[in-house]
Amino acid sequence: MSRFTLIEATGRPTAAAPAPAPRRALDRREALALMTAGVSLAMAGCGRPHEEIIPYVDQPEGLTPGISQRYATTLPLAGYGRGAMVVANDGRPTKIEGSPKHPFSLGSTDVFAEAEVLSLYDPARLQTAMEGSLPSSWNGLDAALLPRLAQHKRQGGQGLTLLTGRITSPTELRLIKALQAAYPAMSWRRFEPVDDDSVRAGAMRAFGRPLTVRPRLQDAQVVLALDADPLGPGPEQIANARAYAARRKPGEAGFSRWYVAEGGWTLTGANADHRLALRPDAIADVALALAAALDHGGAHPPLTPEAQRFVAAAAADLKADAGRAVVLVGRSQPPEVHALVHVLNAGLKAPVDAHAPVDPHPDGHMASLQATVADLRAGHVQTLIVFGGDPAYAAPAALQVAAAIAKAPFSVHFSEHVNDTSVACQWGAPLSHALESWGDLRAPDGTASLVQPLVRPLYDTRTRAQVLDALAAAAVRPSARDLVCQTWATQDGATGAPRVTNAQSSPAAGASRGPGAGATTATVGLTTPQSGRGASGLDEGDAGIDLNATAFDRFWTQALTDGIVANTAAAITAAPAARASVFQPRPASSSFLLALAPDPTLYDGARAENAWLQECPKPLTAEVWGATLAISPADARAHDLTDGDNVRLSRGGQSVVAPVRVAAGQARGVLSGFIGGGRRQGGPIGSEVGWDFAAVRDVANPWLSAVTLERAPAHGEAPHFQALHRLDGDARELSPEITLAALPGLARSPLEKAPEPPSMLPKAESWAPSWAMVIDAELCIGCNACIVACQSENNVPVVGPHEVARGRDMHWLRIDAYDVGQADEHRPAFQPVPCMQCEHAPCEPVCPVEASIHDHEGLNDQVYNRCIGTRFCQSNCPYKVRRFNYYGYSHDQAYGNMGEESVKAQHNPDVTVRARGVMEKCTYCVQRISQARRTAEKADREIGPHEVVTACQSSCPTQAISFGDLETAASGIADLRKEPRHYALLGDLGTRPRTTYLARVRNMNPALGTAAGEITS
Amino acid sequence: MTLAAPQHRWIDASVDTCEQVNALIAEPVIGRASWRPGRWRNWWVALACAAPFALAFFVGLYWELDQGVGVFGNNTTIVWGFPIANYVWWIGIGNAGTLISALLLLTRQPWRASINRFAEAMTLFSVSIAGIFPIIHLGRPMFFYWLAPYPNVMGLWPQWRSALVWDFWAILSYLLFSVTFWYVGLIPDLATLRDRAHHPLVRKLYGAFALGFRGSAWQWSLHQGLYRTMAGLAVPLVCSVHSIVGLDFAASLMPGWQESLFPPYFVVGAMFSGFAMVIILGALIRHALNLKSLVTDRHFDAMAKITVAAACIMGFGYATEWFMSWYSGERAERSYLAYALTGHYWPLYALMMLGNVFLPQILWFKRARASLPALITVAVGVLMGMWFERILIIWNTLGHGYLPTLWRVFWPTVWDYAVMAGSVGFFITLFLLFVRILPSISMFEVRELAMQERDA
Repeated sequence: MSRFTLIEATGRPTAAAPAPAPRRALDRREALALMTAGVSLAMAGCGRPHEEIIPYVDQPEGLTPGISQRYATTLPLAGYGRGAMVVANDGRPTKIEGSPKHPFSLGSTDVFAEAEVLSLYDPARLQTAMEGSLPSSWNGLDAALLPRLAQHKRQGGQGLTLLTGRITSPTELRLIKALQAAYPAMSWRRFEPVDDDSVRAGAMRAFGRPLTVRPRLQDAQVVLALDADPLGPGPEQIANARAYAARRKPGEAGFSRWYVAEGGWTLTGANADHRLALRPDAIADVALALAAALDHGGAHPPLTPEAQRFVAAAAADLKADAGRAVVLVGRSQPPEVHALVHVLNAGLKAPVDAHAPVDPHPDGHMASLQATVADLRAGHVQTLIVFGGDPAYAAPAALQVAAAIAKAPFSVHFSEHVNDTSVACQWGAPLSHALESWGDLRAPDGTASLVQPLVRPLYDTRTRAQVLDALAAAAVRPSARDLVCQTWATQDGATGAPRVTNAQSSPAAGASRGPGAGATTATVGLTTPQSGRGASGLDEGDAGIDLNATAFDRFWTQALTDGIVANTAAAITAAPAARASVFQPRPASSSFLLALAPDPTLYDGARAENAWLQECPKPLTAEVWGATLAISPADARAHDLTDGDNVRLSRGGQSVVAPVRVAAGQARGVLSGFIGGGRRQGGPIGSEVGWDFAAVRDVANPWLSAVTLERAPAHGEAPHFQALHRLDGDARELSPEITLAALPGLARSPLEKAPEPPSMLPKAESWAPSWAMVIDAELCIGCNACIVACQSENNVPVVGPHEVARGRDMHWLRIDAYDVGQADEHRPAFQPVPCMQCEHAPCEPVCPVEASIHDHEGLNDQVYNRCIGTRFCQSNCPYKVRRFNYYGYSHDQAYGNMGEESVKAQHNPDVTVRARGVMEKCTYCVQRISQARRTAEKADREIGPHEVVTACQSSCPTQAISFGDLETAASGIADLRKEPRHYALLGDLGTRPRTTYLARVRNMNPALGTAAGEITS
Repeated sequence: MTLAAPQHRWIDASVDTCEQVNALIAEPVIGRASWRPGRWRNWWVALACAAPFALAFFVGLYWELDQGVGVFGNNTTIVWGFPIANYVWWIGIGNAGTLISALLLLTRQPWRASINRFAEAMTLFSVSIAGIFPIIHLGRPMFFYWLAPYPNVMGLWPQWRSALVWDFWAILSYLLFSVTFWYVGLIPDLATLRDRAHHPLVRKLYGAFALGFRGSAWQWSLHQGLYRTMAGLAVPLVCSVHSIVGLDFAASLMPGWQESLFPPYFVVGAMFSGFAMVIILGALIRHALNLKSLVTDRHFDAMAKITVAAACIMGFGYATEWFMSWYSGERAERSYLAYALTGHYWPLYALMMLGNVFLPQILWFKRARASLPALITVAVGVLMGMWFERILIIWNTLGHGYLPTLWRVFWPTVWDYAVMAGSVGFFITLFLLFVRILPSISMFEVRELAMQERDA
């Protein structure tokens, strides 16, 4: 039984499953034996463990059925940690929120963090050790692996290779160090799909030693990004976005101006004030021209007049704001450009921090992988241990990683999922998900934080630390928690200095309370909850600390409640004087460049099995379940291509066929795409979705590969929610933009021609509270975190690519994107659209059964069990924010993983799971309002001004969303609605929406283009 | 008024006794074996053609109820689709029967006598079919009765401001009324059939439904009183039912729907498509049952004139829509109009204009009105045009609303087509059964007309 489900769940073809033994008739004795066994099984009932179990007699402290708890933990992305506050309901983690004290969460999340909770419950996870395609066990693996390791130990580690991703975890690094001590000749290789090779090499060239240089965007008045995407997906997205937002608030000191030169659209380019579309290999010329303009160099190759103008304007601005100006450069650019930019930044006294790299591995990612492959090919590797990741998929195909792995006499892959690397290895073994692990991680600035499990491992998995510890093949195997305790008891994570004096006693004390000990119900181990809700709860964190506890206990509890280990950020060092390096002359290239970037919703593709991420729209294109290649209109014309036409990209005898999408604003000669698509082993959800470009990636620089392009037969398309419409004329009122220069002159909003159009309907009664939301469209960078947050909070189902292709989707919140550029310029504008909660809601009078009704707090409610599905409400909704369950999307649907039990565990118990035939929509997270109201009523007080935080609001990295009570001045909502930038979407329809917007602001350089009047609306 | 009518204006001169009328109409029903042997073979052929479609209709309904409304092509933006278009179209067709019966009766148009019975049957069947569509359109069809104000534990009534609740009442009352009106009109003819039937069982059946009508002066007096009173009731009902269907769209906020023109425009459109259907059915009945002497060319001429008048009103309606869209100056309205004329569905829009406005203009010519093939071509064009109009009202407005980001296109599924074509097949099946067992032309009214024309 378990074998069957396992094979199904891992998505392996059933052909690979062992052939069943031929049937034969039972004899009498067997039949009787089986019958007896069946009867005794039936009497034993189902699911009850063999051991004695004890129900609650005394309820565990702090655990009230029905009351959710919050735990601080850390989630990994590309090896770095982002703090998270996880909501658990009766032992089930159901929602990820941001961790306010963590410098790379700041209380917000990104799409990847939000979706982790679904990955936890993914039924397609690797559930047991596998030998080839046959299920085995940890004992089986140990029996095969440990003797080999013993032999390696005798040989001093010769022939043993450990291949990992980026590791920043102090515990894992400690254990690897121990491994290196035990196996001195062992090779530790490191390959992360989203590498920083050229960044590191650039710093090396400029400073002569490895150094991480990170900009302080909150201090930057002028930013020039050269093919860099600081606002794009990645471990630093939240922190960068928050810093960006700090300088994009009119009225406060210093509204920043952003210049971006890039080949294809990124989020940074989409949010820039001025953008130059440029082949990425011409960025070096721009950098040289900039250096010349900033008095750092002489000759530079000629630029196009447009680029010349752009560079001149940017350089003048940078110079004028020296000390508050910074130049950024992206991972696709060669090291010499990075080195040059370090020189320029030094000259500009740019606000940047330099510190030692958090990732201590000295080698480049690609070099490390190449060395591994070379070793494997040469037969130097006897035992290959791949620890996480999926290099067989993620590396350029030219390296032929899978074939190389097959050469190893023994290979094992520790992984959460079966992927290409697992298939290439002889053994696969399951790792615990971060939400069921003890561990620790460092953020990109070095800040360490603990990984705390929210739930016991759902399957027979081991944590990352446990696996590394087991490789040391010691007799004693500490618990997962003790492994982390030992790290922090014996050393300060940053310096290695002893941290606390009584280190000897505490891990043992900790172990006795560890999750393995004594808890009787299969819920949470005795982890440390975050008491209270939201930011205010943090101050109460100390309450749980026992004064009699040892110093280590106090440290431990503090680190878990805070969500960070205090004072662990890497020390900021003064960077040595930067030296520019010689530029390699660039051969004039007329071939196409395939510019790849991490996928905005799948990142490196490791989470392709996550249906939320697959169905999360890519910014700008709104494509889901795959992403096409962007091509410039001129190139498309030259090759006679239109949207959806297939092209064949060839390089070195290899080729990839993928469809293109004509993207205005794309530079000529560049095809932009994402890595992370086209997974071959992506489980039932993620396999064969999108396109994999590994075959044509250049090993020297996998982010930019010269390819030849030809038309290929047939068409392909990624389904998409919307097209990028250009707003002209009157339509510009849909997404107005004000120039910064015009803003001080605005006394009151000219965007609202008549704030309250006359109405024959009675005025909505104003009760307290009257909920309202104001979204600052300027701050929306289009990252989509709110979409996944809403999905997670409100049990919003996925519908799958076929339904999306039919025009159906279920997201309650969408990010509308328009092109608001004029003439030849293309300027995307984002506008998040949840339900407007209209005071005069057009959906209400048309519902024949009163399923759409107004409540006394100004909410436009949808009563699911009253709804009969006439869909008149959505017909009549000018904003089209309602979503209809054409099928039972939440039940037994393929892309909802057929409603497997484990997936159901993710559901928020406070929100109805909607049935087929029912209309649904954004509720302003009414369950959170209700929760706050109940809490307030119990305490006999009013709901506090910031007590209710909607899911979208809490996720937003730039805090673009404000929510609160119109009647309470302290909430600030009423004031926001009086801002001159304030406007209501389609306000002249008289719907009187409660969700309103602040217009976008553009900080134009007068030297670049005409400031088109006060308001371009 | 009848005095002014010229002799034998509406009925062929060869028919001048009551018995002749009875024989012409009742013989195909009663004397099947004796009446033109072999003639019913064509009926069987027709039934064999229509029945598979009727079956497809029920298979489609079953599949939809089993799988959910997702089997249709509706999407997040265009939440309404074929079922609503079919509903409006069928109820429009259903409008004409009662209109012909009641309005022409009240305005003393004697020619209605030859066509009102089958027109009423048409109404009955099409309204019945129309009534199915709003139910299968629901996401949760099992709760359709929540539109009715019945006492329930939820303590909830319908939401009376919704046009769908008005619609529920309009359809229900119209359906009940149509059945009653049709049946009341049938009673004297059922009595005639009872009297002429040979087989005792048949006699008993017709007799039971004839409710003991014996043709006494008192009974005639009562019958005529009731019939005319009902006709009086019918006229406002006919107008209300389709006005309310129009309000389903007009009582909204959407560009292209929010027009005060819709109620009258829908009533005219309904009459228009209904008359087109009557023309087709009339031509078939007259040919199949050999009733040229009762359904004469003059009838078709009169109906053709109504059709061309209605086509002109429709044209005026479209022109008003275009003008108002432009004159409003609203971005969304103008964008909607541009989309309707040049967007994804412009070929359908062009076909609609052709069928509803331009093709019927040939009926200004007497030769076209006299030519049955021409008339049928126009009628088919009108029926198609009206269906396109119904679906385009939905597709254009919903698919091209206020926010460009949610503009989407509708892709019909095989089930959309199955249920649509199936409903036509089911209608034809019902009509064939009707022709087989009931007099397709009102005998007592034609007798009256024949006598009037003979005596005039």
